[in-house]
This record gives sequence, C-alpha cells and structure tokens, in this order.
Amino acid sequence: MNNNSTNTELLIRFIDGELENDELIALKEQLNTDNSLAAELENLRYAKDAIKSYGIRNTVAAVHSEMMKELNTTKTIARVISLKQILKYSSRIAAMAILVLGIAMLYQYFSATPDQLFRNNYNAFVLHESRGSTDVSALEQPYKSGDMKTTMKIFNQLNSPTAEDYFLNGNAALQSGNPSAAIKSFLALQQKNKSENTHLFEEDTQYYLALAYLQNNDAASALPIFENIHADNKHPYYRQAGSWFITKLKRLATEKK
Amino acid sequence: MEKGSHFTDTALLQLLKSNESPDEGIKYLYRSQYTVTKAYINQNNGSDQDAEDIFQEVIVTFIELVKKDKFRGESSVATFLYAITRNTWLNELKKRGRSKLRDEKFEKAKDSTEMDISHLIVNREIKRQLMQVVDSLGDTCKKILLAFYFENLAMKDILKTMQYENEQVVRNKKYKCLKQLEQMMTAQPQLAKNLKSVLFYE
Repeated sequence: MNNNSTNTELLIRFIDGELENDELIALKEQLNTDNSLAAELENLRYAKDAIKSYGIRNTVAAVHSEMMKELNTTKTIARVISLKQILKYSSRIAAMAILVLGIAMLYQYFSATPDQLFRNNYNAFVLHESRGSTDVSALEQPYKSGDMKTTMKIFNQLNSPTAEDYFLNGNAALQSGNPSAAIKSFLALQQKNKSENTHLFEEDTQYYLALAYLQNNDAASALPIFENIHADNKHPYYRQAGSWFITKLKRLATEKK
Repeated sequence: MEKGSHFTDTALLQLLKSNESPDEGIKYLYRSQYTVTKAYINQNNGSDQDAEDIFQEVIVTFIELVKKDKFRGESSVATFLYAITRNTWLNELKKRGRSKLRDEKFEKAKDSTEMDISHLIVNREIKRQLMQVVDSLGDTCKKILLAFYFENLAMKDILKTMQYENEQVVRNKKYKCLKQLEQMMTAQPQLAKNLKSVLFYE
C-alpha cells in the first residue's frame, strides 16, 4: 500500500476527475510502474463505490419502508373493499330476492280466484275400504271405480241415505263439476250428524264443503270453514288451510261482499 | 408520480440513472414488481420478510448495475429483475442448506436461466459487511462523502451544509475520510478479497 499522502491526494483527485495535463500524464506513467500505487488507486475506487452503494441502499431503504406501508395498506383496503363488495352484492341479491318474492306474492294475492284456490287445493277423496262390515253403501263400488254418474244416480234412488251415501254423493258431484249438488249433499250430511248427534265424516265433510263453495265461486261461504280448519292444528286438513291461503281467501271473500 | 403511472423501460432507466428523482423510479419498481417477487419467494419456502429483504437487495443491485451501465436492456426490466430475484433467492436457500432436494432444485433452476446472470447473484453477506464498514465511519465523513460521491454536489454546496471555514477544509476532510474508508475496507481480508465482485459485479 502506498503511504505517501501526496500520492494519495493525487489518486483521489484522479478518481474525482480533477487532474489535468502534466499532472495527469505523470500519474498515469507512475501507475504503470508502481504496483502499490495502482493497488491503492483500485482500493480508493472501491471506497468511492462503497459510498455510492451505501447511498443507494439508504435511498432504497427509505422508499422501502414507505412502499411497504403503501402496499400493505393497499392490501388491507383491497380486503376491506372486497368484504364491503361482498356485503354490498349480498345485500343487493337479498334485496332482489325479497323484491321478486314480494312481487310474486303480490301477483298471487291479486290474481287469486276462487277457482284457482280450488284447483290448487282439491284432491278427490279416495275411498280405501268399506266403512262398516255390514252396512256397505251401494255407492262405494261405482265411486271406487270412478263412475261418478252412477254414484249420483244410485244416491238419487235411495229413500233414506246414510251419512256415507251423502258424503260419497257430495264428492261424486264435486268431481263431476257440480258444486251446487255437492254443497247440498254435504250440508245434508252435517244436518244429519247434528240431528242424530253423530260425527260421521265430519272433518272430511268440512273440508270438501269448503272446496265445493270455492268451486261454486263463493269465497265468502268457504272462508269461515277454512278459518276453523286453520285454527285447529289437529284438524287432518290443517296444512291445506295455511296463513297465505287464508289471506288470499279473505281478499276474495271481501270482493264477493 | 401518480400511483397508476407507468414508465417504459427506457424512461425508468433514465430516472434511475439520474440523481433528480430516483425515488419515483424505485417506487414504480415496488408497485410493479414486488407482488411478483413476493409470490415467487412465498411459493419457494420463503416468508414475507424474506421477500421484503430479497426484493430490497435486488433493487439496490439493479440500480447499481444501471448506474454502471451494466444493464444493457437485452431483456425487459421485469424479466431481468425476476431472474436476479430467482438466483439470489435460490442462492440464499442453498446457503441455508435446508435440504438436498433444494440443492437439486437450485441447480436445475440455475441451468434453466435464460440469461447468464450468475455473476450478478447478490452476495448478501459480503455486502452486509461492506455496508457495516461504511456505516462505522463518523457521521461527518459519511455526510461529506455521500454529498460528493452519491449526490454529486459541488464543494461550495457541501460547504453550505457544513460548519467549515472554506472549501479547501472540506476538501481535505473528504480526502481523509475516503482514505480512512479505504483502509477500513482493506483491513478485512475476506471483504477485501470480494470487493471487486460485490462492487463491480465482475
């Protein structure tokens, strides 16, 4: 290593680009012959570059801290925005679903007719077995076989119909699209039960009488029967008389009045 | 610079070379490249902190290369940075010596590198030693040397920020400081041996 401070100063002036003319030429000649001077020059250049590298590192370090904050904030904001967007879109979807459901319900509410309520709720009564081993109604066989015309014809020939006869005749009339005859038969059965203090086919008759009123476009008469069924959660037709059904029926009953 | 600003590679290199507003160029590199680096390091057994450290190191190296005209634009800045990042990180993994498998992965990845940038792999440990040496200089020395060699300020401008009588005093101080730094650097054999590769990438 060259320890001559004059030479060192010259070397520094050389790397700083401050040497000119004779001084520059002389130093270059000296560097060609003096290895230790050349080595010192190289080391001074390293020192100069180390300072530059240190400066760059400090500059990047300062920006690094700032950028990490920015990038992390951006990420957090993105997460928050993402969550907000999910909530926003979920709310919109929920609102849309509620709106669509509301519109559908309104449509159902205002477009409901007694006939529509009848068709949506009516299932023909199915006779599975004889009710009583000795007193089998003559109407059972044709009713079971789906011959409603014969069922009603036989009923009309009876002198003293039983509760089952009234009930099957009412259902045959309902299936045949003759609600007036069905109503008449069901009311007769209710009267018979009342006078004889019996309860034969009582709940089935209530339900099919109410349906017969609907088929007859008489919502006002059907409403109190369905309301009674709705009020009794042990009634076998309770599920058929739901709240929404009653609501629509009430509107129709009001219209009728 | 607006956050959404975009620089062409040419504009970016000019910005990084100049001393006027290198911060804007560095910020642009962070905004455009950091996510890629982080994803790569995370996918290769590195933590978020590793990603931050490696990226910072790679940016310093890249700016040094640009300032020394050693980046010739044979590939895009993004491709070049990715290549340096990958090599630096794989080298780091190899040093950590976690597994034989990783060594095999390292060799395979090195072979597949399109550019020959193996000499640019940042020797983080040597660099750290070098920066510690510079850091151990007195504050006044660092201030004068940084002002002159890094900020390229003239002596008269440096004098305005220092409490010295005249330019010659500052000049003498600068001379002593640089000589002191040179002696400190060469006093560490391991560091002295690697100065060329660490500072000149040769």
